[in-house]
Amino acid sequence: MTRHTDDGDGDAEGGNGPDGERGDGPAADTDRSTPAPGVPEAGRDEQPSIFVPDDGEVSDETPPERPATDGGVESATGGSDSADLDPDAYDPVDVFPGGDLDLREGADSCYKCTSCDTSCPVAEVDEEFPGPKFQGPEQWRLKRKGDHDIDESITSCSNCMRCDDACPSSVPLSQMHNEARGQFVESQMEKLSREYVRNRILSNYRFFASIASKVPRLANAATKIPGAMKLGEKVLGIAGDREFPDFATQTFREWWKDRGGAQVTDPDKRVAYFHGCYSNYNTPEVGKAMVRVYEHFGYEVMVPPQKCSGTPMFANGMLKDARRHAETNVENLVEAIGEGADVIASCTSCSLSLRQEYPELFDIHGIEDVSEHTYEALEYLRINEDLEGELAGTELADEQAFAYHAPCHARNQGLSRQAVETFRDVDGVTMEDVGDSCSGISGTYGWKAEKYETSMEIGEEMFEHMEDAKGDVGMTECPTCAMQMEHGTGYEVEHPLQLLEDAVGA
Amino acid sequence: MDQQVDVVVVGGGSTGCGVVRDLARRGLDAVLVEKGNLTHGTTGRMHGLLHSGGRYAVSDQKSARECIEENRVLRDIAGHCVEETGGLFVKRPEDSEEYFQEKLEGCRACDIPVEVIDGEEARRREPYLARDVEKAIALPDGAVDPFRLCVANAADAREHGARIETHAPVTDVLVEGGEVVGVEVEHETGPGERVHREPGTTEEIRARHVVNATGAWAGNLGEMAGVDVEVRPSKGVMTVMNTRQVDTVINRCRPKGDADIIVPHETACILGTTDEEVDDPEDYPEEEWEVDLMIETLSELVPALKDARTLRSFWGVRPLYEPPGTGTEDPTDITRDYFLLDHGDRDDLPGMTTIVGGKLTTYRMMAESISDHVCDALGHDATCDTADAPLPGSESEARMAELMDEFGLRSPVARRSGQRLGSRADDVLDDCDPNPVICQCEGVTRAEVRDAIGEAGSDLNAVRLRTRASMGNCQGGFCTHRIAAELAQEYPEPVVRDAEDELYQERWKGQRHALWGRQLSQAMLNHLLHATTMNRDGDPANLDSEVDFGAFDAGADSEPAGPNEGGNAGTATADGGTDGDR
Repeated sequence: MTRHTDDGDGDAEGGNGPDGERGDGPAADTDRSTPAPGVPEAGRDEQPSIFVPDDGEVSDETPPERPATDGGVESATGGSDSADLDPDAYDPVDVFPGGDLDLREGADSCYKCTSCDTSCPVAEVDEEFPGPKFQGPEQWRLKRKGDHDIDESITSCSNCMRCDDACPSSVPLSQMHNEARGQFVESQMEKLSREYVRNRILSNYRFFASIASKVPRLANAATKIPGAMKLGEKVLGIAGDREFPDFATQTFREWWKDRGGAQVTDPDKRVAYFHGCYSNYNTPEVGKAMVRVYEHFGYEVMVPPQKCSGTPMFANGMLKDARRHAETNVENLVEAIGEGADVIASCTSCSLSLRQEYPELFDIHGIEDVSEHTYEALEYLRINEDLEGELAGTELADEQAFAYHAPCHARNQGLSRQAVETFRDVDGVTMEDVGDSCSGISGTYGWKAEKYETSMEIGEEMFEHMEDAKGDVGMTECPTCAMQMEHGTGYEVEHPLQLLEDAVGA
Repeated sequence: MDQQVDVVVVGGGSTGCGVVRDLARRGLDAVLVEKGNLTHGTTGRMHGLLHSGGRYAVSDQKSARECIEENRVLRDIAGHCVEETGGLFVKRPEDSEEYFQEKLEGCRACDIPVEVIDGEEARRREPYLARDVEKAIALPDGAVDPFRLCVANAADAREHGARIETHAPVTDVLVEGGEVVGVEVEHETGPGERVHREPGTTEEIRARHVVNATGAWAGNLGEMAGVDVEVRPSKGVMTVMNTRQVDTVINRCRPKGDADIIVPHETACILGTTDEEVDDPEDYPEEEWEVDLMIETLSELVPALKDARTLRSFWGVRPLYEPPGTGTEDPTDITRDYFLLDHGDRDDLPGMTTIVGGKLTTYRMMAESISDHVCDALGHDATCDTADAPLPGSESEARMAELMDEFGLRSPVARRSGQRLGSRADDVLDDCDPNPVICQCEGVTRAEVRDAIGEAGSDLNAVRLRTRASMGNCQGGFCTHRIAAELAQEYPEPVVRDAEDELYQERWKGQRHALWGRQLSQAMLNHLLHATTMNRDGDPANLDSEVDFGAFDAGADSEPAGPNEGGNAGTATADGGTDGDR
């Protein structure tokens, strides 16, 4: 049975969903064990179809009244009506009109201890950057109603979110930063400025990648034309020293369609794969490894229609874009969850976005369910399978040493040690953690010409440690960290799923 | 060094500052004496409400009319002290509809512009309002910073030739030939020999007239002159929240009662209050139940208050007065009107006038009427212009964009500096480079702290009142030492140390009433930083005894290590952690 297999990138699906599949809903229900608490039942969360504008249109086709973020005031998918909430239980943050979240109360948790500032990789190398404490609790606390200006330095935050991890007191730092950045971009950034256009392009990577993938060879050749990147720097302010990633000649979704979708069916063991843009357009081998590994463990893999997770959009304050994409993602993932699946991402930024940023910034019906049911690919297997037993005594054909970098966003999910621990008992694998520094690229951050130096300075520690490490192959879960690792050391970089695929012989 | 002046004004609260400004502008030679800082008494211990008059529109329409009139004047002359927040009188289901209508009519009768809005509209304006608030009356309440207001009045008075003397308690009222002829003050040295003026001396200030503007303390001063002034001091508690849950003044629309107002003040919200008569304005119990009552009762209007962080609580004493024989039992029923007591007429003791009662919103009107009276008594012919002349700092609005560009301030810091300094912002920020932020919670830069030191001397609590430095969520834990370091540029070390301790203690005083949840954690962190990291609980410089240096050992190299100790000194692992699999 093939589920959610669509052509290309699924844009055409919009909110239609695979209606044909719904017919077996009730029957499947009886087969399935009772859904775990919190798992929406099929049908309960069915939403009227909505028109989701094609993400390709980067013009301002979004209705202007739609808030960038909200909390129940408006939700295109029908959201919960906050007026029905129990007055004693409601969260005032959820009811602010006009779309902007009022996060002044987040300052209540801050003790000014400055752990966030000392863990901020940007503040460490950029003396002008006032740091997360200022961007978050201080700036918000100093606000009054009617104060709309946000300090421009918010654009120097790379959204690595290490401050969230560093805070001993649960200050919603990255939420404050995301909201402030969104407000800054919305009301203070010149919409015709080169910076805005560049950031809009960078954050809508998926759109450009989807076009480039139509003609991958041409696109790959174009970025390698001498001077092409320099031109990009001149015209758009995109760092000219970086190498543009290659587009795959066959996207993950094309491959998935060609192979006929899922090869294993099991209504009791389903996962919905959120491959993200990069695994689809640039590194389909990661997506393929995910599918093969999961099928090896007997999972039925679903590949629902999906758009960008929003990570690059948050980092650039493009919250409206992120919201639009989130509506599609949530709708399709909620449906998959209703069919018994958990959501699996192979990119740690994608999983963090679905888990943390989605419920913090948007109130879309079912978004909490998505958050609760999302896992990183390796994490999920470590929870649900006896990975240790499976890997004990396995041997890699060729001995290989890896320099492993834990992405900041993996760190925030408590996953910074998972790759090292997973492969500890595999013969022939040496996995060395290159330390807890940030790679410095932070998605689109290091792609900006004016941030390039900062980005490389932050990455310096990681480059050094990689070179000191025994291995000459890099490993990380994050595609942009991988770019930075490759850019700084020239190493080839793999995803742990690829190694796992080799180790279990999937 | 005795001197003869026209008028001595006793009391550096809003009334006294207003009077000395008025008199100075009318060309009289005036001195203000205050036993503590400006605003030391009641003025510095109020919730910062700029009344629209709505609160008195049913019970006391004369006061209500005065309030709306002066409300308009202050927006005009003291723009940098006032925030035009607007106010709401909100009605919950259990509150009387009849009273709501009475309030509405009362406001209209007093010329207070009102608008009735439904619960939904009220929550649109203030999203944290309770779901079951039914409707509200919107009116022009505002927030006023009493410190800034008094300081601006005093500064203007000084510009017009007046002398302002703080930390100078009156020790005697001079009576000669059945007439008040001046006062004797003591110039306090303070615990740290802080130098303001002629420390440790007493001074007789002889004056043609003495104005007793000591509010709740008016009886004490009256006693020195041998007259009875029956003030009935009444205490009220105010609780300071860490953030602003509301940006509008929220009043409960019901006849009277405790805990019925929330005032957004600067970065915080102030909850108020209680009304309970006390015997001594300096010595009364500060009780926990009063704070609990504030939070519990006001949570009915704004549920978020229940779980929000409280920074501190403080108590103030109202200078209520009623003419002898009125006999009101409940202090909440005592009129809020002000009274001018001419002791010549009243007690056959010419040369002194007492002003009691009233409220901060009408301070200027009170000052005008007493100044008229004093001018009459002295036969001085001059007109009052205080309703039209802007206070220093309010001549024009600070230009935020320029503050950011010219002085390189981050936007919220520039915004707050501009709001605090008003038209003085350019001058104050002009010659301080580099200009780091000293108090991060309130966004106060070095320039502003130094400016305040220039005005207030080594008293860091006076610096605090001028700048708000140390009034944010760390309550000085992260900035008292930085502020004190600015003092160290000009003052000797012992002065700086004492000033630092005083500020830190003052911050602690209010926090004692907020020691639960997050402020308790903050207080503990502050304590650890100051006691251990900075060693302020055992700093040799602050100890009476000599440090016993002999008790320290002489270092690792000088003595052979015992069998079980020090064996591996110097061999700490230098493993940088490259072995990831540990």
